Amino acid sequence: MSAPWLYLLFGTAFGWVLSRSGAADYDYVQGMFLLESFQLYGIIGGAVAVTAPGLWLLKRTGRTATGTPLRVTPKPRHPGNVLGGALFGIGWSLTGMCPGPILVNLGEGKVYALGALAGVLVGAGVFGVLYERLRLPLHLPALKLGTGDG
Amino acid sequence: MLILHDLTPLPWWLAGAAIGAITLLLLWVTNQRLGISTGFENLCALALRAPYFQRAEITGSHAWRLPFLGGLFLGGVLSAATSGDWWPFWSLGMFDLTFGWGPAGKLPWMFVGGLFIGFGTRLAGGCTSGHGIFGISNLERASVESTLAFMAAGLVTTNLIYRVWAAS
Repeated sequence: MSAPWLYLLFGTAFGWVLSRSGAADYDYVQGMFLLESFQLYGIIGGAVAVTAPGLWLLKRTGRTATGTPLRVTPKPRHPGNVLGGALFGIGWSLTGMCPGPILVNLGEGKVYALGALAGVLVGAGVFGVLYERLRLPLHLPALKLGTGDG
Repeated sequence: MLILHDLTPLPWWLAGAAIGAITLLLLWVTNQRLGISTGFENLCALALRAPYFQRAEITGSHAWRLPFLGGLFLGGVLSAATSGDWWPFWSLGMFDLTFGWGPAGKLPWMFVGGLFIGFGTRLAGGCTSGHGIFGISNLERASVESTLAFMAAGLVTTNLIYRVWAAS
């Protein structure tokens, strides 16, 4: 586990790019969903075009910069991927923000992002509290409790 | 043009390449898989004792996800402060032009949207970053399916709002 300031730095760089690229901009998000603006398709596609070959290469070497074994855990597949994705898409359209840009917009001084942040925390909180009741009907994975280094 | 200070955005290829580079560096240097929405569970875990928030993946990741989220906020502050005055504002682009609602309308609208994002990303197990960028780059089926679902739902919702509701 690296130092907290390093993660702060990664987050800051990421947030700055989201802010200046349109990814954290209400109008560019709506333009994407109205098929009127290519910008965000280009950004997501460009990010995948860089990440995919780089990731393939990193997994082949199998080591991080400090020589420890690389750890890439695939996300579990279950019916919630599509159902939850659809709910998230509605929220992304309503607010013009996906999770990162909520914090970026707040930093930029867009006061309404406070409403989105409060909603996200309540929504995630409700999901967590209801997890055991949703788990079987939606075939979600069992919880791995305890202290790990995820 | 961006809502923020009417800035011209970075070209898409530059922004995309930068996001890809940050994603790869985060993995190569710190061995962490990019993912933003899981960080909201770390925030919830500070206040909620439900077992879901006390699982290993969350309790063991406060040390990186919380500063990463703080960085996203700081990136927004720096971006605004280096391109003009930093000042709280309410402008919402085409939403203002179409609906003209004030803060009392925008806050609950955003809150409801946030509920969908919070519940939806947790059910989906990821968002645009963890599924859309990292998961797709890693050719994970769950991520491809989830990304198709949120893009389709966003497309339908925005078209209902701006081409059906606003046009009626």
